[in-house]
Amino acid sequence: MAQIPSLDNAHLNLASLREQSQKELLNILKNIRGKKCLVIDPKLGGSLSLLIQTSLLKENGAELRHLSAEPVETECTRILYLVRPQINLMKFISSNIQNDLSKGVQREYFLYFVPRRTVVCEKIFEEEKVHHLLTIGEYPFYLLPLDEDVLSFELDLAYKECFVDGDTSSLWHIAKAIHKLEFSSGVIPNVRAKGKASTKVTEILNSLQVEEPINSADMGIPEINTLILLDREVDMVTPMCFQLTYEGLLDEILQINNGSVEIDSTVMGGGQQDGKKIKVPLNSSDKLYKEIRDLNFEVVVQVLRQKATSIQQDYAEVKSTSQSVSELKDFVKKLNSLPEIARHVNLAQHLQSFTCKPSFHARLDIEQTLLELQNYEICFEYIEEMIHKQEPLVNVLRLLESKSNWLAIARALQLIVEDTDTANPNDISYIFSGYAPLSIRLVQHAIRSGWRSIEEIMKLLPGPHVDLKRSVSNSSSSQDANPVFQSNLDRIADGRRSLALVIFIGGITFAEIAALRFLSSQEGTGYDFIVATTKMVNGTTILETLMTNNS
Amino acid sequence: MAAVSVAGEWQLLYNRFYRKLTIYSMEWGRIDLSRHRVAAAPFGGPVAAIRDDSKIVQLYAESARRKLLIFNAAGCPLASAVWDRPGGRLVGMAWTDDQVLVCVVQDGTVYRYNVHAELCAPQFSMGKECFEQGVVECVFWGNGMICITEGFQIFCVPDFKNPVPCKLADPGIEEYPLCLAVIEPQYTMSGNVEVLLGVGDHVLVVEEDGVQQLGVGVGPFQKMAVSQNGKYLATFTHDGRLLVILTDFSRIIFEYTCESSLPPEQIAWCGLDSVLLYWDEKELLMVGPNGNPVSYLYDEPIRLIPECDGVRILSNSSMEFLQRVPDSTVSIFQVGSTLPAALLYDALEHFDKRSAKADENLRLIRSSLAEAVEACIDAAGHEYDLSRQRTLLRAASYGRAFCSQFPRDHFQEMCKILRVLNAVRNHEIGIPLSIQQYKLLTPPVLIGRLINANHHLVALRISEYLGLSPEVVIMHWASAKITASPAIQDTALLDILLDKLRLCKGISYAAIAAHADSCGRRKLAAMIVEHEPRSSKQVPLLLSIEEEDSALVKAIDSGDTDLVYLVLFHVWQKKPALDFFGTINARPLARDLFITYSRFYKHEFLKDFFLSTGRLQDVGFLLLKESWKLEKNPMASKGSPLHGPRIRLIEQAQKLFSETKEHNFESKAAEEHAKLLRLQHNLEVSTKQAIFVDSSISDTIRTCIVLGNHREAMRVRTEFKVSEKRWYWLKAFALATVRDWDALEKFSKEKRPPGGYKPFVEACIDADEKAEAIKYIPKLTEPRERSEAYARIGMAKEAADAASQAKDSGELFSRIKLTLGQNAAASSIFDTLRDRLSFQGVY
Repeated sequence: MAQIPSLDNAHLNLASLREQSQKELLNILKNIRGKKCLVIDPKLGGSLSLLIQTSLLKENGAELRHLSAEPVETECTRILYLVRPQINLMKFISSNIQNDLSKGVQREYFLYFVPRRTVVCEKIFEEEKVHHLLTIGEYPFYLLPLDEDVLSFELDLAYKECFVDGDTSSLWHIAKAIHKLEFSSGVIPNVRAKGKASTKVTEILNSLQVEEPINSADMGIPEINTLILLDREVDMVTPMCFQLTYEGLLDEILQINNGSVEIDSTVMGGGQQDGKKIKVPLNSSDKLYKEIRDLNFEVVVQVLRQKATSIQQDYAEVKSTSQSVSELKDFVKKLNSLPEIARHVNLAQHLQSFTCKPSFHARLDIEQTLLELQNYEICFEYIEEMIHKQEPLVNVLRLLESKSNWLAIARALQLIVEDTDTANPNDISYIFSGYAPLSIRLVQHAIRSGWRSIEEIMKLLPGPHVDLKRSVSNSSSSQDANPVFQSNLDRIADGRRSLALVIFIGGITFAEIAALRFLSSQEGTGYDFIVATTKMVNGTTILETLMTNNS
Repeated sequence: MAAVSVAGEWQLLYNRFYRKLTIYSMEWGRIDLSRHRVAAAPFGGPVAAIRDDSKIVQLYAESARRKLLIFNAAGCPLASAVWDRPGGRLVGMAWTDDQVLVCVVQDGTVYRYNVHAELCAPQFSMGKECFEQGVVECVFWGNGMICITEGFQIFCVPDFKNPVPCKLADPGIEEYPLCLAVIEPQYTMSGNVEVLLGVGDHVLVVEEDGVQQLGVGVGPFQKMAVSQNGKYLATFTHDGRLLVILTDFSRIIFEYTCESSLPPEQIAWCGLDSVLLYWDEKELLMVGPNGNPVSYLYDEPIRLIPECDGVRILSNSSMEFLQRVPDSTVSIFQVGSTLPAALLYDALEHFDKRSAKADENLRLIRSSLAEAVEACIDAAGHEYDLSRQRTLLRAASYGRAFCSQFPRDHFQEMCKILRVLNAVRNHEIGIPLSIQQYKLLTPPVLIGRLINANHHLVALRISEYLGLSPEVVIMHWASAKITASPAIQDTALLDILLDKLRLCKGISYAAIAAHADSCGRRKLAAMIVEHEPRSSKQVPLLLSIEEEDSALVKAIDSGDTDLVYLVLFHVWQKKPALDFFGTINARPLARDLFITYSRFYKHEFLKDFFLSTGRLQDVGFLLLKESWKLEKNPMASKGSPLHGPRIRLIEQAQKLFSETKEHNFESKAAEEHAKLLRLQHNLEVSTKQAIFVDSSISDTIRTCIVLGNHREAMRVRTEFKVSEKRWYWLKAFALATVRDWDALEKFSKEKRPPGGYKPFVEACIDADEKAEAIKYIPKLTEPRERSEAYARIGMAKEAADAASQAKDSGELFSRIKLTLGQNAAASSIFDTLRDRLSFQGVY
């Protein structure tokens, strides 16, 4: 199965978005004649693996390398750097070039910034006196489809940069990406944002519309009806909770990177080669995965058992009695799904070896207690014990993240739900076996009635919120919506489902995506969701970005 | 009849009619073409004239200083300037496609003027060889030029937009060529210009990388002209023949022997159908492929100006246009024409005279009425005479009334075009475009030419009329207005400008402000740029007019960090450090971005910043960070680490923290960090194992115990006031690690452990030593804990017993069951599953 997901069933034309990005990348390669060495910064390389097959790059005469402080080992005389505009990466490039100069190696250097060139990066080259050697270009790649309903801005440090360093570059990036998207999908008429970063993105988005207006007159009805922006900061509790959906658990335990997990081949029932890692792609192109990814893990085990049992029964029947050809055909069809079933049985078994540990249950207990704010003392004792046992720092920190006003919020938004039926859920609280993620509750309110009805609660959460209607006509006053158009919109909303773009600044967890998918499958929601995030995260990766020292 | 008089002015060349229309009588007074070098731009463009210094002329009432004079095509003066360019005689002068007048002088210097006779681009030289040898002659095309030197070398500027001269291949000739011509790059195989030299009895084709001989024996050629489409070459041979040859010399199209073998002064193509030959002040001969040529007599000098659909003939007194009569016009006006269009035109005349014959005519052409209407509309488009345009359109309109299915928009479209053409043909504007030229030129280019000649109002009207964006016009107008109004006060001028700029959404205020600044009106520039909605345009301009503060505010407002950095570096470079610090410290985003950059790149400067803004603690953090960097660098730990740079840095940081009130914790932490490092170093020295430095206190204690060094472990414990509880956890686990169960037991019996026996139980279970664990489990006080511990080592019965002693045992029971049950049940389920699937052989 391919690592690059199929986007055919997406609610928005994401396939053309991806094709455009592919084309632009190939054009960059084609414009540099002859053989060249393509040097990519490793993080970006991961993103590109979901965009384009490496074989395609090689076909265009590119030899692939990862950017590091080490000099580039290649015979090519043309070097093409493809990097995000980050200062530390610029230092690597400078030292690469200086190394060549000192050895008297003559090369042509091309540098393409993703998504755009920046003054601060070029400044480094000027300081290092290599600027004149570089031919600089831009590769405007702002948005990467991870799956048919998930987009990523691939800004893994956004949370830290914005909230710790005060560097808001990523907010401009997000606004620009939305604006670019709007050029093909139309101006999104309703915008709801919560949090400092989200409201800032809304502001930038408006000023971009002034700078480069989208002429919506000739575009018809906008494809996306509502844009919901949330700061991760608004809800730091949810990502700290251990995810209990199948996909969430895979991420927590095995780390999903760029839409796949890397695990020991023995886990997948492979041969005896020890320590050999294999990549297992995980996206909706795998039909079984699509079906079970968002289920609570308990349920997944049952589903898999059922499937396997039914096949086994069929197999027994095939062996024992003579059957009609059509029955055989059905059976063979079922057999086609066998590799998928086998794959997930292997994965699930691997996960279960973690989930059956008592420490796992103890931890879930504590999480639940924390969320219900019943007994702080037990929690602190537990945490202290963890410190004594010298568990990894990250785990400790995850539990320490607690919140003021939590109780009021939790009550008002019914975040703690007793009696959840994980097999036949009727509320998003099934995701965490009884806790409904705050972030998704907010989304739920946003599309149902706007945030005005929960104004008081919104005030308890950090950061300002805005709720605005953007005029679709090109008139100068952007606040009042055109009444005729508005009624038009409402009428359409009656007829078919609307599309909402939900953006998480600072990352989203798989469990939250699962909750959104569940929400849209519920009758009466009337909305499909497309999620865009700065990066897929879980509690561990969020804290890791905050802890790392990337100097 | 009117029709007869129209056709009466036509000349017949074999089977085709030609007409020569007088468009303007020249309004330039006593300009004599014979005394001037003249360059006239195609597409009805302007005419430039400089008195010819290669001829001896008598001066009348005029200055002895030569002047560059620029007129429109009707001879109305547009501009003039004294011609005093150094570098020798003027050897070439022509207009480019962009209406830039290029003047080349003998030493190879190239000057460029706009229509206002102002130098509009920097002069450049054709190179050293041209300078040394001297340029003799130039040939121009579109936006390019070649020139030939006295040393018979050829140089080329392919495009004046990017004037980089290059040398073509050496033609290797010893005599100056008889004549020159070029084939434009767009018509050659190579995409580069080809130069044709008439040499000896043949032609040399010179390109960048080679010379080729063509047509040997056909010549010698005295004159050459390449047709508009680059396919045909018209040449005049030494024996008085006109030859039209394919440019690759593969075929002679036709040949005509003239009466005289004296070469003509000018040779030009008229469209693609005929060739014009002009002998000085005598005769203009039009030769076609068949039949007798047409001859026109002139008693004054003329210049032939080739156009795409004919030739303009400029004389001292008039501007004429010679073209083949368009087919639609012939169909209407040819004597005796009975074609539908002619009958329709005739019908209108009868209608006007209220004659019933009108109806009769119409009935005759009923079936081909649409065709007739179309012809009348088309013919109107080709007319220069207003009343005839009107009559033809009326004829069309009359016919259309009886022709319901005729598309309306053809008629309207033509009316629009004619209104535009008539407007620009007005002699004050003087652009005598034919409809064909207009379509080839395109309206936007025409508008560009109008604004360059400062005809803004007409340009604006035309763009509005044609539904084009007025942005270009208004932009140009605003710039021109600023240039032309040095006397108007800033505020007044701003109002005048804004009044018009408002007409056009999305116009670039920044560009206009930039122009105001370049005109020396910085204050006005600042006022204009205030109205620019695009920060990406606004901020750089604010910087260029030294409005740094305002630039910083706008950049921050835009949310585009790249713009903020742009301002940041600009100010950083310009201002002294302290001023710079003050500026950015007042603005959080600018400050944070500066800190981010400096953290990576300008550590020392960042320290200065923190010190100057009183952020001692941040300097402290920087120092700590530097110390961590040293940790990663193995070279740094060489020498004596005790007084090594790392500890020194940490101590410095500690000092800084202690100077501020709010950072007691950091100060203490730094102090302890330094202490720990020292201690760890000592340990490494005494144990001769480099495993201590940079581990935590807990790890240090554990390592000591694991190594059996209990005394040192104890010392670390007291030194850093490690709590009893923690000590028990650490020691229990350490002993379990080395599996020293006796020591563990002894340790448990030293005294009653302050935190209970949990650490012992956990350590044993962790080390997978059930037997040892059982020793301590009964000592756990809480039945719940006991029960869970038993469960974990798989002792179900004991777990259940313990659980029954717990208070709310029900919940505990079920959980224990789960813990115990899940292992067995779950794995057995999966094992069977896996067995069932393996028959497939998938893996």
